[in-house]
Amino acid sequence: MADNNTSKTKKWTRRAFIATGGLVGVGLIVGIGGNVYLSKNAYKYSGKGFGDGNSLNAWVRIAPDNTITVAVPRAEMGQGVYTSIPMMIAEELEVSMDDIKIYAPQPEPAYANALLLVPEPKKEYSSLTFMQKVAHFLPLVATGGSTAISDGYNYMRAAGATAREMLIEAAAAKWGVDKSKCYAENAHIINKDSKEKLTYGELAEAASKVKLAKMPLLKEKKDWKILGKPVARLDIPEKVTGKAEFGLDVRQKDMLYAVIRHATYHGGTITGINNQADIEAKRGVKKVLILPKGIGAVVVADNTWRAKNAALALDLEETGDATLSSAKIDAQAEEVIANKIIATPLQKGNAAKVLDGGEGIIEAKYDVPYLAHACMEPINCTVLVDGDKADVWCGHQGSSIMLDGVNAGAGIAKENITVHTKYLGGGFGRRAEVDMVLNAAHVAKEMNGTPIQLVYTREEAMRHEMYRPAVKSHFRAKLDGSGGIEAWENKMALQSVGYSSVMRIKPEFAEPPEKDGSSSEGAANLPYEMKNALVAFGQLELPIQVGNWRSVGSSQNAFFTESFMDECAHAAGQDPYKYRRNLLKNHPRFVAVLDKVAEMSKWNTPLGENRFRGIAIHESFRSIVAQVVEITKVEDKKFSIDKYYNVIDCGRVINPDTVEAQMQSGIMYGLTAALYGEITFDEGEVEQYNFPQYEIVRMNVAPQVEVHIMDTDTHPGGVGEPATPPAAPALANAIFAATGDRVRALPLQKHGYSFV
Amino acid sequence: MELKINGKSYTVNTEESMPLLWVIRDELNMTGTKYGCGVSSCGACSVMIDGVATRTCTLPVSAAVGKEITTIEGLNPNGELTAVQKAWIQHQVPQCGYCQSGMIVAAEALLNENANPTDEDINNSITNICRCGTYNRIRAAIHTAAELRALETELIKKVMGE
Ligand code: FES
Ligand code: FES
Repeated sequence: MADNNTSKTKKWTRRAFIATGGLVGVGLIVGIGGNVYLSKNAYKYSGKGFGDGNSLNAWVRIAPDNTITVAVPRAEMGQGVYTSIPMMIAEELEVSMDDIKIYAPQPEPAYANALLLVPEPKKEYSSLTFMQKVAHFLPLVATGGSTAISDGYNYMRAAGATAREMLIEAAAAKWGVDKSKCYAENAHIINKDSKEKLTYGELAEAASKVKLAKMPLLKEKKDWKILGKPVARLDIPEKVTGKAEFGLDVRQKDMLYAVIRHATYHGGTITGINNQADIEAKRGVKKVLILPKGIGAVVVADNTWRAKNAALALDLEETGDATLSSAKIDAQAEEVIANKIIATPLQKGNAAKVLDGGEGIIEAKYDVPYLAHACMEPINCTVLVDGDKADVWCGHQGSSIMLDGVNAGAGIAKENITVHTKYLGGGFGRRAEVDMVLNAAHVAKEMNGTPIQLVYTREEAMRHEMYRPAVKSHFRAKLDGSGGIEAWENKMALQSVGYSSVMRIKPEFAEPPEKDGSSSEGAANLPYEMKNALVAFGQLELPIQVGNWRSVGSSQNAFFTESFMDECAHAAGQDPYKYRRNLLKNHPRFVAVLDKVAEMSKWNTPLGENRFRGIAIHESFRSIVAQVVEITKVEDKKFSIDKYYNVIDCGRVINPDTVEAQMQSGIMYGLTAALYGEITFDEGEVEQYNFPQYEIVRMNVAPQVEVHIMDTDTHPGGVGEPATPPAAPALANAIFAATGDRVRALPLQKHGYSFV
Repeated sequence: MELKINGKSYTVNTEESMPLLWVIRDELNMTGTKYGCGVSSCGACSVMIDGVATRTCTLPVSAAVGKEITTIEGLNPNGELTAVQKAWIQHQVPQCGYCQSGMIVAAEALLNENANPTDEDINNSITNICRCGTYNRIRAAIHTAAELRALETELIKKVMGE
């Protein structure tokens, strides 16, 4: 249990910090010991944008009028982090959520998300591991991998607890009583004996000077007043009145709009513009330019529509591979699986020996296409370069990535850049990329003194992005007499997301494709009992950029493995639920989740006529999700997707209403991929332009979703992504139950299926 | 050209063919109405024109002259939230929120026409895209908003009657 760790009250001194946090010798001279961020004396943070009042640490500032400002360094993209982080702080600070105002701080070391680099969450007070220190030194301030709560759960609560203790000590000093005579309640410190009260606002200045000798224990779960209860999201009121400001809504004085036209061919370049003068003469157009390395051309105008029309009218000289096609990519993938395996992330026993020439081998070849993120808000970024200073406004998953992008794109020193994090109209991994910032910064530098809003039209955003890779997965398996897995082999071909994306953001951190864990996540770490197993993959060499797409490797690997697991159950002549349960019997958390979803969906009770169901279970981002989907056959190959039952074990829960919302959301995202999602290439170009060619699940198709959250006590896992992976295999398994047709390649519409 | 938006008059001097969306967003800087696709497919750009939910990304501004335009900003002129907005908060509908201006406008228009829509009616009239997949909650919120509106109407009747 996570809270047991907190029973050790640690002495925390400046000396201890120097001993544990100074990274002298490796060139890191910034102090970055564990709790150092909880005191402003030992640690530097600018407090820029924090507003009035006194900082008690990097997270909490209290103004004389009792306004409590909480720093939320994670991006709000619909997952509710602008509420869940304040909840963790408010719980320990003993304030109500109504008292809290939030702000998005600058990307400073205090706010690093170390879990993005290190799988172990930071402890509340102990010192950091080397890689955690690196995350702080960079600093890596970003939101992704469903990490915000897992990363912050310990130290963000500690930020609230230490601030509370500082207020208590300040009150005790004022009253001249021992601090044991004082307690915090509802934004006041109360004197137990005299019943006197002081507001936090009255105490903040004195409290900000307190140095705690001992770090406070964190509350036990049973004492929680806010955590674990459904809390209304702080960002929702302004999202129903149109007042919420997204990146694309930024309006600055004299701002101009820039529209990008990427090089037509992936990996290609623009070498010239044949009609520059004509374009520059169009109404409202201020400038036409080619981006560095010819990756795109940009038109700057006084209105997005004028810029867009002008960009479309550009007559470009280009180079690039005009022969790239999905057929070619397919052929290369087959070749890679057959002859170019580069990594074997799982090897147990000798699967090949059992499978080669064996009898009764089950074989299946799966594949999935490239997918677009298709965030609802088209990609954009606004930058003002003014001499040696810059401002950047963007709905971005990484405030530190925004900083890097402006630094690299406009050559402005980082300390002269101010980051303004706006709401994200969807992130899903796409908004962790640096391209929009880099490109906007470049244009803004050319237009020194004028704020530039760079917009990717829907068509540009869809045809030129960092796709979920197309992946092939070839299975062989052999079962023993009772259905147990004697041997399991899965060979895959894909482009490495880890390599491709890190090369764009921090090339010095990029590991080669064979080391990329994301390629085999959800394939090489299955909990099922297997005697012999081999999971291997090879890398496609293509000019296409691939990136993190909600649930990353698990987005395809759950489809492959949970569909093939169903094939094994079928071959063994067993019920798919009981078959899985039997192979999971040594993993009680999985069994509990699976049993719960079977119970909720009344798995053992037959459905009515023309109704069918499918099941899947998958662990990703430190959480386990099982789903049962019920479908109705309307006519041949035409189905209604009626309902998903969804059970999650994500450990301790911060805001259950948000967990439910993320389960609903994750399923819809997975369903769009299962039903329609497909980016294809022909003659070097992406064939899909916009939603008419890249359909999204809408109201008429969206199933009901019923969610159950397991009551468990482990460190919180992620919730933003884990519901996506099982959605497709559960559905494909239901289609098999209905038709006997085993769909091994997504999307379903490609096979003539339609949905109502 | 003269436009009437949220009860106020605006004079704009753009191409007649400029879609109303870009006039609202870039010329008048009212950013509650969103750009999602530009091809009338997603509904993010919906506003009410003479009470009808209309996608503005393909509607030439000239076609809106002389009409009553209501954007998300104009739904609650007195600051009092509409029944739809209240239901949206009650059901905690928005996630990223980007599609929600268009969704709310579409829901208002549906309820104006059909005070008590069935699930089938909702399927047929709410054709906007929500990439975050908030459909379950939108459906529930529309039903709640219908009830709220009915209550409000009843209350008004009572007060007027007295
Ligand atoms: S932006 Fe108008 S319908 Fe999508
Ligand atoms: S709430 Fe994000 S697109 Fe609908």
